[in-house]
Amino acid sequence: MKVEFTYQYEELVIDMDRLRKGLGYSEEPIPELFIDYLEKVKEDCRELNDICGAFYICQDLQFAANKRSFFAGGTEFKVGRTIAQKLRKADKMAFFVCTAGKTISEKASSLLKGEDPVLGYVYDIMGSAIAEAVADEVQHHIEQQMLPLGAKVTNRYSPGYCHWNVSDQHKLFSLFDENPCGVSLTESALMNPVKSVSGVIGIGRNVEFQDYQCSLCAMKDCVYRSDE
Amino acid sequence: MKDELLKKLSACVEFGKTNKAALYPPQMKGEDGADEITSQLLDVGVGAQEILTEGLMPGMEKVGIKFRENKIFVPQVLMSAKAMGMSMVHLKPFFTSGAAKQKGTFIIGTVQGDLHDIGKNLVAMMVEGSGYKVIDLGTDCLAEKYIAAIKENPGAAVGLSALLTTTMVNMEQITKDIKAVFPETLVTIGGAPVNDDFCLKIGADNYSADPQGVVDFLNTKIA
Repeated sequence: MKVEFTYQYEELVIDMDRLRKGLGYSEEPIPELFIDYLEKVKEDCRELNDICGAFYICQDLQFAANKRSFFAGGTEFKVGRTIAQKLRKADKMAFFVCTAGKTISEKASSLLKGEDPVLGYVYDIMGSAIAEAVADEVQHHIEQQMLPLGAKVTNRYSPGYCHWNVSDQHKLFSLFDENPCGVSLTESALMNPVKSVSGVIGIGRNVEFQDYQCSLCAMKDCVYRSDE
Repeated sequence: MKDELLKKLSACVEFGKTNKAALYPPQMKGEDGADEITSQLLDVGVGAQEILTEGLMPGMEKVGIKFRENKIFVPQVLMSAKAMGMSMVHLKPFFTSGAAKQKGTFIIGTVQGDLHDIGKNLVAMMVEGSGYKVIDLGTDCLAEKYIAAIKENPGAAVGLSALLTTTMVNMEQITKDIKAVFPETLVTIGGAPVNDDFCLKIGADNYSADPQGVVDFLNTKIA
């Protein structure tokens, strides 16, 4: 089953704390100029019409004996030991691609390179927050869909993190029709538009969602890192 | 007057005051910014070299230290870089003509397989503000791109940036490829997943956790 949704900015729950943390001001007050920038960016985001999320649930699933990979629809995903361990009780896998869209990605990039890097940075951080918010929506949708069947979902895991090689993006994208949500891959498996996220969510009666996942990751300076 | 202007220019960079019209920072509202002060310095006969070393660099050094100490954050560093950029527009012709000299050349890029560029950009801005010519190769850079840039800029140091854990592997290969062709070229690495141990393992010359660390390294080895 392949599903694709479009979203308006207003429909998304943007984590403002995460946004503030992304800008660097988790505890300190944001300087006035940057508050103005943030308000401008939020206003502009209301005009975005290319925010999108897609997912595909695969039931043909097998875990490899090496405990580092699994096969979905006959394709091997070498997710590494950490992610494989988190997914191993899944009966199905939901693969997803979510994007904040080309508009905000290009705006952030062009401003960062040129006339106003600070405003570009605010767009960049907002683009990431939107992509994550879309992924939250997709995850919530899948969770609600599975609830009546007595199944739960795991956390989301993405190529490029926790030792899951980013080259597996090509395999992940091959499960969808060409360019899901308008997202394409470069030769080195990077997503275009840049403000996009992709990955997998495990589904099953015996899987668990864990609130705290940061200990799995080596990125000590990540803006999303929790100190819990 | 000259010393006063240089001090003011340094403050413009430190606090991100681009020009007189800029409303940021609030405490400098209505005052001349880096744009006007650089013009004034050139008008009174101060050389581009002195403006760089006595005005811009001390300001940018303070920015680097404050960023390292978490006293300021990325948006403020970008404002400082913007102020410095305003000044550099006036100074660039002198560096291009050879009338003034930069400390050396620094080539920087995010490695193959990685599109993250904010950290790389911050390092580039800070290094440029510290008196180096910076060649920014962008993101998703193959080893060949770094090697071609080194060929065109003999003696340049190279900075490799990565954010993804999985692109650390590419960082290792790129370092080896660079060292195979240019064993003497200094390679400094940075990014969230890397550290001193990884630097040692892949044969790079330096790891810095923040932009000022790269400046310190270059100042020790090149300047």
